[in-house]
Amino acid sequence: MSIRLQLLIIALTTLVLPWAGCQYARELESTLRVSQENSLQAAAQTIANALSAQSQRVFSAVDGEQPFDGAQGDLYLFPLIAQPLLDGYREDWDLDVEPTALRADGLTGRVQAGVTEHYLMLYVEVDDAHFEAEPGEVSPEQDSFDRVNVAWQRSDGSLDSVFFATSAPGLIQAQRVEGTVETGERVVVEPRIQAFWLQTSRGYHVEARIPRSMVGSRLWIEAVDGQSRRTAGFMGADPPRGGRLITPTPGLGPLLSTFIGAGTQATVVDANALKLGSAGSVVLNKDDPDGAEGSWYRRFVAGDTSRWPVRLSAPDHMEGHSVASAIAGRPSAEWLRAGANGSALLSAAAPIIVDERIHGAVVLEQGGDQLIDLRDRALTHLFNLTLLATALAVAIAFGIATWISVRIDRLRLAADTAVTNDGRIRLDMPESRRTDEIGALSRGFERLLARLNEHTQYLRTLGGKLSHELRTPLTIVRSSLDNLESEGLRADQQGYVRRAREGASRLQSILSALGAASRVEESIKQAERVSFDLKELMQSAIEGYRDGFPAARIELTTPTDTCFMHGAPDLVVQMLDKLIDNAVDFCTPSGTIRVGLTRSSTRYEITVDNDGPPIPEDMLNRLFESLFEHRQGGDDKPHFGLGLYIVRLIAEFHGGSAAAANRSDGGGAVFTVTLPMI
Amino acid sequence: MGYHRPMKRQIAIVEDEPALRENYGAALARQGYQIKTYGNRKSAMGAFETHLPDLAIIDISLEEEAEGGFDLCRDLRALSAEIPIIFLTARDSELDAVSGLRLGADDFLTKDVSLPHLAARVAALFRRIDALRRPDNSAQIVRRGALSIDGEKMQTAWNGAPVTLSLTEFWIVHALARNPGHVKNRQQLMDAANVVLDDNTITSHIKRVRRKFQQVDPAFDAIQTVYGMGYRWVE
Repeated sequence: MSIRLQLLIIALTTLVLPWAGCQYARELESTLRVSQENSLQAAAQTIANALSAQSQRVFSAVDGEQPFDGAQGDLYLFPLIAQPLLDGYREDWDLDVEPTALRADGLTGRVQAGVTEHYLMLYVEVDDAHFEAEPGEVSPEQDSFDRVNVAWQRSDGSLDSVFFATSAPGLIQAQRVEGTVETGERVVVEPRIQAFWLQTSRGYHVEARIPRSMVGSRLWIEAVDGQSRRTAGFMGADPPRGGRLITPTPGLGPLLSTFIGAGTQATVVDANALKLGSAGSVVLNKDDPDGAEGSWYRRFVAGDTSRWPVRLSAPDHMEGHSVASAIAGRPSAEWLRAGANGSALLSAAAPIIVDERIHGAVVLEQGGDQLIDLRDRALTHLFNLTLLATALAVAIAFGIATWISVRIDRLRLAADTAVTNDGRIRLDMPESRRTDEIGALSRGFERLLARLNEHTQYLRTLGGKLSHELRTPLTIVRSSLDNLESEGLRADQQGYVRRAREGASRLQSILSALGAASRVEESIKQAERVSFDLKELMQSAIEGYRDGFPAARIELTTPTDTCFMHGAPDLVVQMLDKLIDNAVDFCTPSGTIRVGLTRSSTRYEITVDNDGPPIPEDMLNRLFESLFEHRQGGDDKPHFGLGLYIVRLIAEFHGGSAAAANRSDGGGAVFTVTLPMI
Repeated sequence: MGYHRPMKRQIAIVEDEPALRENYGAALARQGYQIKTYGNRKSAMGAFETHLPDLAIIDISLEEEAEGGFDLCRDLRALSAEIPIIFLTARDSELDAVSGLRLGADDFLTKDVSLPHLAARVAALFRRIDALRRPDNSAQIVRRGALSIDGEKMQTAWNGAPVTLSLTEFWIVHALARNPGHVKNRQQLMDAANVVLDDNTITSHIKRVRRKFQQVDPAFDAIQTVYGMGYRWVE
């Protein structure tokens, strides 16, 4: 992994900042939620306390001893905002709750009750497809017509009842039976109570309007099928049971509204969780007016709200844990999801206790949006800042990494090329003046190279030194042998002397070869440059080589005209000697050595191409180094890998270069020496 | 004759390496010379001041003095203009240094020289001394154009002007000029000069010979290099 990548990864760890920000925002949010819960609950408690002090104003109409029981005919009077038209439909009641079923006794029906300022509204739906009309003269005994009986308890406790029936659907008035069985009963119209009878395909609807003042706290409804005498609903019993009318307390709304601020809804429920009154309204999450940005961040940080219960809303009663808990006596708060998009809604409830008895509860509801807004604003800020910081950190880290790796790369390149192909050592390294670790590394390289250079120099001169130092002892040996021979030896002794002499002369040629490079260096120092014809020189030299190596086939191609160059002809010949020597050694017995001279605008190129085994690729560049030898197999001549080194020395003396390559057909090697004309 | 020829010619060998000193001495003594050996410049010069040898063989580096042989040669030449002096060197490169110094030595040899070769050139130098002391004998003079070679006195002249060559150089020129136009390869030249040298040294000898002739005649180019083969004398 490159340094750049490593530092980039390190820099990316700064992404932990936004993450920490999210955590912080979450904590902030939950803290805010708790504090909102606490404050809302405290407010609910305050309102509950205030209301319990005036419980008469709150619970005036309620007999809360028994639980609400629709099966016993208890009716909740929905507060209706506008006075509905009497038309047999309840759509204009503007309630999104379905009518409750009447107790079925052979007949099915549904009922709903509402209350306006002056009237009690009743809506009865009966499933009775066969309509029996009311005859013109009715007596209760001979009634075989469809009707709806309504009975109620007056404020003073006495009972009253009317029935609704009609000869034709439409606007009707209630009828009442007057008199007793003894005095004779008769049916009279009750003009104060009006209704609308609507016939439908399934049965009929009756929408009735009864002045509020006529009815006390209980009311019973019964639908009768005229033909079968089957009924649905409840009729009054003595003592009165069921049929209680649960009414929102008049004036409770305005009272509550004095306690609450905007965005909060306060509701008072009775012990059965039926609503007695409410005020205010909840402002739910408006559909993200500030665009996708908020929600984008929210995705990262929003607490999990899916576990929250959904707010169940009903016009007549309240549900939920907090309400149930408050009615059971414990103040409580909970978060709900409300609305189409599941906006947060806080619901806090506190019981209203009068004379140590729980009469009901105050429920406060508040949207959680303010929190989200607050959080989002903080979070957006935090996010922007930390992302900026991260981007900055990443950019800086990347920049530094790039800078460092460029420097290291430079150093590496310099180290790679410090030892040049021709074996020379470049001692200066880049970056060595820097004071940091890379600078130290570079200086370390420089010291290493200096040592290496010393060593290389030592090796380079070792041959010459050895050759010199060994010459005197060798001379002693040879001169001693000369003397010994002159003394006159026996025939058997002469053999030893001859062998000793052979050994000495081999040693001599080894020393001579060892010292060859330094002698060439010496003669290069003293070389004089003259103008000469390279073509003529080569022709003459090749002629000599043909004599010198009769077994070898040497071909020469040159340009037709003269090739003057400025240089040291002796050295050039010496260079050719070495090239031809080398080619002869490697040429296959039947092979050919092709020597070529070509001319470009400023330089000559001498190629020596011999058939033979290719040179291993990794050695091609090292062939011209001092003391490099890849020769295998032997001949008598000592080899110290100096021949091609001398070629290089001479080429460089002339400002040229030497190179080796394998022939593309793999059948031989080509040595090329380039020499400038001047 | 106006001079007394001693029974034995005396040769001084100044060489700091005792084994070599003894070997050279023994070889030359066998040839009938009287040998005196010295290990350093001081002792040699002390002896020379009282008695001059007939020939001196001097090593260039003498004990601590890297070029003590040169100084000794100069001092000895100051004592006698005629005494033949042979330099022995351990290094090829010194040959060039020696030529630059023009100390008046008669020959320069590397220590590679074999004892028979050394003896041959000692004998040659004595022969030259003898020839110089005899009256002129122009019959021995070979002429090749501007070149004249006196084989007895081992002297050369170009256009009549003497060219001072060392013994080795004289023999090389002699071998080349005897058969003008014929290429002599390095081996032939070495044989002629009674030396065993490597190619480079032959090259530098030729170079030196040319330079010496050019000092007399800057236009001299009678010695031609035949690259890859050797050298020839052209008239």
